[in-house]
Amino acid sequence: MNSRSPILQLRKLTKTFGSFTAVKEINLDITEGEFFTIVGPSGSGKTTLLRMLTGMESATSGDILLRGARINDLPANKRPTCMVFQSLALFPHRTVGQNIEFSLKIKNVAPDVRKARALQLMAQLRLPQDYYGKSVTKCSGGERQRVALARALAYDPDILFFDEPLSAIDYKLRKTLEKELKDIHRETGKTFIYITHSLEEAMVMSDRIGVMRAGQLVQVGSPQQIYSAPETKFVSEFIGDVNVMAVTAKGSSIVHAAEFGVDIASPAVPAGFTAGHLVVRPESLRFIENRSGAENCLEGRLYNEYVLGSRIQYQVRVHDHVFIVEKLRQQAFAGQRDDNVLIGWDAKDSILVTD
Amino acid sequence: MNSLAPRWRTSLIWAWTAAVVIFMYLPGLCLLLASMTSSRYFIFPITKWGFAWWEKTFASLEIHQLFQTSLLIAFCVTVIAVTIALFGALAFARYDWKGRSIYQKIVLLPIFFPQSVLGLSLLLWFNALGLTMSWQTAVFAHLVWIVPVCTLVISIQVYSFDPALEEAAFDLGATKWQVFREVTLPVLFPGIFSGALFAFLLSWGNFPLSLYTTGADTTIPEYLYAKMVAGYTPGVPVLGTVSTVGAAGLLLVGYAIIVMLRRRRAASDQSEV
Repeated sequence: MNSRSPILQLRKLTKTFGSFTAVKEINLDITEGEFFTIVGPSGSGKTTLLRMLTGMESATSGDILLRGARINDLPANKRPTCMVFQSLALFPHRTVGQNIEFSLKIKNVAPDVRKARALQLMAQLRLPQDYYGKSVTKCSGGERQRVALARALAYDPDILFFDEPLSAIDYKLRKTLEKELKDIHRETGKTFIYITHSLEEAMVMSDRIGVMRAGQLVQVGSPQQIYSAPETKFVSEFIGDVNVMAVTAKGSSIVHAAEFGVDIASPAVPAGFTAGHLVVRPESLRFIENRSGAENCLEGRLYNEYVLGSRIQYQVRVHDHVFIVEKLRQQAFAGQRDDNVLIGWDAKDSILVTD
Repeated sequence: MNSLAPRWRTSLIWAWTAAVVIFMYLPGLCLLLASMTSSRYFIFPITKWGFAWWEKTFASLEIHQLFQTSLLIAFCVTVIAVTIALFGALAFARYDWKGRSIYQKIVLLPIFFPQSVLGLSLLLWFNALGLTMSWQTAVFAHLVWIVPVCTLVISIQVYSFDPALEEAAFDLGATKWQVFREVTLPVLFPGIFSGALFAFLLSWGNFPLSLYTTGADTTIPEYLYAKMVAGYTPGVPVLGTVSTVGAAGLLLVGYAIIVMLRRRRAASDQSEV
């Protein structure tokens, strides 16, 4: 099988509810075997998009192509795709085994074949074999996640969809399950399409990420690309704490920040860029002794510090603008609150973005 | 924590609980006592104890006929009410649709109709339609009042139903009918079962609707009323006791069935491993 061929293609896919456009003209190709994550804040249309892909919501216009064939009008139970729900939607009146075997029972697969398949999936997902007869209501959160995944895999779908299944799980277990899910993706070689509001979660697991905003895909790329080369202020801010300054173009690699009344050395200003934002990540900002310590420099007041385990963040106020400087714990800054400090960064560590 | 609570507080809670229980069950106990007399009349304290009236009551063909009529009506009411109420409850609590709010109010309104007035108005309607009063018209009359109650009981279960369960089953390849049979129905079963018990017992004990609409047929509550108005014998408390205990017994049997089903399911789950 050609691993480069697209399994799912979206062409101008649109969904409107009355006068509200939830999803607007989305074009996207998803490669066979890819782990693709759609990330966006609540209300960005990602759930609606997913529901159209699974067949639970009909598209207003545009096409959904599965291996080249249009599946818009195929109902969910006829599509070779399967979804892991946010609530998991495990059948509470059934055991772990019966939940996993559900789709096989629907297909009239013989009971012993069903059971063998269920036990095999349970082994693969590290569920103890004696859980087969256990009621799902007696399983822990992590076990229920695995049962839901096993149930979806038993259907043997071409594409697996995930609707934020980890959002209700505590941090530590979530980190474990994220890695497990990526391992399962590797083992099964299936196409995974995952939606989440957490870009951090998306970064850990995905081959590619699509960022959604107000019903549109604003940027698609590898986790590396999304992190290091966000194209808009929205995407850059979505990743986490960033320092954003409103700037206007002034030269081939010089911009002007009116708020601070200074010119700033920046990466090459793209043709057609007149006004936008300059983004500097907290770890790219540093405290400097004097103005020659970095290409760009601002003077501010140390306001607060936050200990984040292995890292420490410092809040520095320049006029009314808040900057976040992040340092490793071993390199903690010795300044006191209300000290006047100089913060600086180099042009290569900053990113120019549009709105 | 509880053991640290002052003793008098615990005693007060027990005394209060006992008072409430006595208040609710003493009349029933008096009914039982009144049936256990050998004399013809209702006199307290009872002078001559005996089970003579119990034997007479159980031997009476008339009483057998009453039981049959009451059972037949209650059975028909249960089957029809649960069927209507299940789908009514799905519309009530599961789906969001235009007019749902009004529907929710309209469907519950009949619960608050004074039943004697409802019975009379139904009688007038049946007459106008040229129907002869019998147990069938009584079934209809009971349904008017019991379907709303049953809808409300099942709705409570439907409210706690996660619609994603149906979507998940559908997504896993099930047809709409398979989704209903494999997921919706079994998950809602406890609610449906309590709805059925409610329907049966409310029909079994109903007097005001039956009074107007049974025609020549007679149910147990109607007979009890007629006998108390004229022609009292200790057979009345006997029948009253049997009817009450029978209803209580049905509740217990219903509960036992649920427990048994759960155990059997658990047992079969285990044997599958």
